Amino acid sequence: MCGIIGYTGFREANKVLIDCLKRLEYRGYDSAGICVMGKKLQVFKDVGEISKLEKEIPSFKGDIGIGHVRWATHGKVSKENAHPHLSGDKKIALIHNGIIENFQSLKEELQQKGHIFLSQTDSEIIAHVIEEEYTDTLENAVHNALKKIKGSYALVVVSEQEPDKLIGACNESPLVIGVGDNENFFASDIPALLKYTNRVMYLDDGEIAVITKNSIRVIDGKKKEVTKKEEIITWTVKDAEKSGFDHFMLKEIYDQPESIHQVLRGRISEIEETIGFPERVESILNAEFESIHIVACGTSFYAGLVGKYLIEQFTKIPVFVELASEFRYFGVKKDTSLVIAVTQSGETADTLAALREAKSAGCKTIVITNVIGSTATRIADAYVLTQSGPEIGVAATKTFTSQILTLFLLALKEASVRKTLGPDEIYHYILQLKKLPGQVRQILNNSDEIKTVAKHLKDVQSVFFIGRGIHYPLALEGALKLKEISYIHAEGFASGELKHGPFSLLTKDTPVVAIVAKDETYDKMITSIGEVKAREPPVIAIADEKDSEIEKHADFVLRFPSNGSPLSGISIAVILQLLAYHVAKLRGCSIDKPRNLAKSVTVD
Amino acid sequence: MKCVILAAGEGKRMHPLTYTRPKVMLPIANKPLLEWNLLNAIDAGIKDFVFVVGYKSEMVRNYFGNGEKWNVNIEYINQGKALGTSHAVGMVERFVDDFIVLCGDTIFGKNDIKNISQKENSMGLLEVKNPHDYGIVELKGKNIVKIYEKMEKPFSNIINAGIYHFNKKLFEYIKKTDKSPRGEYEITDSINLLVKKQTMHGIILKEWRDVVYPWHLLDANEEILKKMKKDIQCDVEKNTTLKGTVIVGKNTKILSGSYIEGPVVIGSDCKIGPNCYIRPYTAIGNNCHIGNACEVKNSIIMDNSNVSHQNYVGDSVIGQNCNLGAGTKVANLRLDKRNIKIVLNGKKLDTKRRKLGTIMGDNVQTGINSMMNVGSMIGNNVFIGLGATAEGEIKPKSKIL
Repeated sequence: MCGIIGYTGFREANKVLIDCLKRLEYRGYDSAGICVMGKKLQVFKDVGEISKLEKEIPSFKGDIGIGHVRWATHGKVSKENAHPHLSGDKKIALIHNGIIENFQSLKEELQQKGHIFLSQTDSEIIAHVIEEEYTDTLENAVHNALKKIKGSYALVVVSEQEPDKLIGACNESPLVIGVGDNENFFASDIPALLKYTNRVMYLDDGEIAVITKNSIRVIDGKKKEVTKKEEIITWTVKDAEKSGFDHFMLKEIYDQPESIHQVLRGRISEIEETIGFPERVESILNAEFESIHIVACGTSFYAGLVGKYLIEQFTKIPVFVELASEFRYFGVKKDTSLVIAVTQSGETADTLAALREAKSAGCKTIVITNVIGSTATRIADAYVLTQSGPEIGVAATKTFTSQILTLFLLALKEASVRKTLGPDEIYHYILQLKKLPGQVRQILNNSDEIKTVAKHLKDVQSVFFIGRGIHYPLALEGALKLKEISYIHAEGFASGELKHGPFSLLTKDTPVVAIVAKDETYDKMITSIGEVKAREPPVIAIADEKDSEIEKHADFVLRFPSNGSPLSGISIAVILQLLAYHVAKLRGCSIDKPRNLAKSVTVD
Repeated sequence: MKCVILAAGEGKRMHPLTYTRPKVMLPIANKPLLEWNLLNAIDAGIKDFVFVVGYKSEMVRNYFGNGEKWNVNIEYINQGKALGTSHAVGMVERFVDDFIVLCGDTIFGKNDIKNISQKENSMGLLEVKNPHDYGIVELKGKNIVKIYEKMEKPFSNIINAGIYHFNKKLFEYIKKTDKSPRGEYEITDSINLLVKKQTMHGIILKEWRDVVYPWHLLDANEEILKKMKKDIQCDVEKNTTLKGTVIVGKNTKILSGSYIEGPVVIGSDCKIGPNCYIRPYTAIGNNCHIGNACEVKNSIIMDNSNVSHQNYVGDSVIGQNCNLGAGTKVANLRLDKRNIKIVLNGKKLDTKRRKLGTIMGDNVQTGINSMMNVGSMIGNNVFIGLGATAEGEIKPKSKIL
């Protein structure tokens, strides 16, 4: 998840680029760079935040240029890996957001032709491919180069030979054209350019745009000219950071179709029907171990609990999920176990301590985190990035679903290593994974029902969340989301446990949210709802869209798309997030910054 | 000769009206403020315009387009960051040679624009009674020596009027201009640098109307309406009285019993009456309804708003798409006849007016028999419940019940 910007016009490009990149800075990037066309291409890039680098950037002269802020997903945080990247002859500069899947083979091919690469990024390859294709115009070169590239990209290119234009293209990564007067822009995010213009055109996948300061031309993959509609953005700069949403939390809930894409990107191969991880992760997964301990706190702990169900189901390896704050002191740490730590920030103090303890006891360690270069990635033997992009809202949303999916992928990988699942079964899950972003989008597009239900929850004292199997940790997470942002007391229970105590708390004024999937637990869940109903509380069922019976048992029903696998848990999580959000909003709570809470808990 | 009009400002002192439009698009006598300057500049012989836009620039662009409608060329430059007037003028460097600059929140007369445009290196001056609110100009003969911003004890009542004639050299001084104490790049500071090296001629203006606070719209409205000519483009029913200068647009219906005392301007597609009383210095936009037993006096009512049943609206500005419920009344005079004080952006201000009704943003709805107190500043999208009283400054989207 990087931020990119391109400018051509009458202002000093230097200032515009820095200014636009600073608009994205609130999301926390690790390195930045710009390239301004003077007589030659002038490039500056380094590790650090743009506001700190600002003073070091030389005052390049020129009115056309590109800029980039990086949130590393491939390759470490370093000056070389920062963008822009140059072609071999240093006459083409490129910025890129996305992941190139066939970069390894392209790289080898180019190396044979004598290309030398300065970075470990996949992005640099594209600059070299364009250089190879550059026989007549830059536009054709980009067009031909993109035919060779597989993967996701939003990119902007500038060449010394055609110094008055920028060429942008995108596929599965966002890119907008900012329409100005005597100037035009490219940007990955509207907030970046809102100071300069509120007129934008959205580029669609496979399209290429050529902009100069006075013209905009868009062609499709067949070089056919496309007429684009100009749209007016009516949000203010302040709203813009949230992309027009009322809160970061809501924006991040709506980011999920994209963040799900990101977790899967580069890891599942539909063609080869396999799951792939970085070498160090794979070598650990290939090693011998008897058990797995997942250590985490808060929402990450619940993602870990979901992981337990998945790993045990797929691999039959016993999994113990432990609270990091307990495990660091009391857990049994044997060198025959694999410890998987889950932490969004990679800086959670309790999880780091647990990780260190486990490591010194000789356990193999993997961390699942969202932040490359974080302390956790340095302690653990190997790390897997959730690649969710920055999460600003204190209540975790997209990182929760990404953590679950990462664990899902790890479980599948381990199952293929141990041959507990056959290739057909793994392929079946790969296909299910591919459908997920669309299913989540379906929920996001039809959230009115969730808002209606939220009205019934906003004035209650207490809410129960119940589920069985993999839905039990989701019930816990649903309750956590609700209590942390709406300040309504909420508890999650394994529905079989209700009768062992919690029932005594149940009154007709305690709504119960029941997660009911069409799986082997269905009949038991219906029985549980029946027991609950006997105490007359309102029951809100979160149920499969194909479940035609559920209305008989519940007062309200929220539907999720049928998936036929544990993956429907992702859709359920999104519903629970939206429910908590809307209740908190109706209660007028401080959603992005709940009282007494911090995003990254770096104290014990 | 190009005419640069500074039209980027949000106009925070024009809240609540500028929550939904840039300052230059505020209507005066049924045309945006900016259009009056455009028309006067056209009358002064100018054909090429550069509008420096920013806040809600699409509204300016949508209204004026490329200037075809007026037979002139209009170019737009987005200021980007609002860093002050000098910064705004600096934006046009690549697009002008010999040019005049007009501050967009002031209406200038055509003869004055002409005089300035014919005299190189000149700026407009004005003699006023309250100079401490403006930039005071020190003169040596007719030449500018220095401009002082907002002095507590002004030594002169000659002020900077906000209209200038420059050439390319100005941009050198703009680049050397430092931020002012209030953190902006001011064109007056650039001029102070310029006059050290070359002469700048002062020209006293004859017509001038600056529009700073919402009630100034009423003053400007009155001034312009006084100069307009009678023009009725619609059918008028029997038993109506139209006295003085009355201007009415197409497809408007003036129904029986309407009594209209000019100067009054009414837009197109309105329904006026039956049985209403419209008093002097009132501007009613397009597609409005002034209904039975309603009285409107010295007010601006913007497009698509309704004052339909037994209403009184005096000395007020009513935004677009407002609907006054039956019996909604506006108070416009204190019983003790004192000046009306208002609260704007949280600060108390003396309007120095004895009569002022309400300043109402867009999309406000009022319930029956609701009341607006003198000087009530009502944000956009506000609901005022039946029988409720609106007073002071009311935030956008609030409900007064």
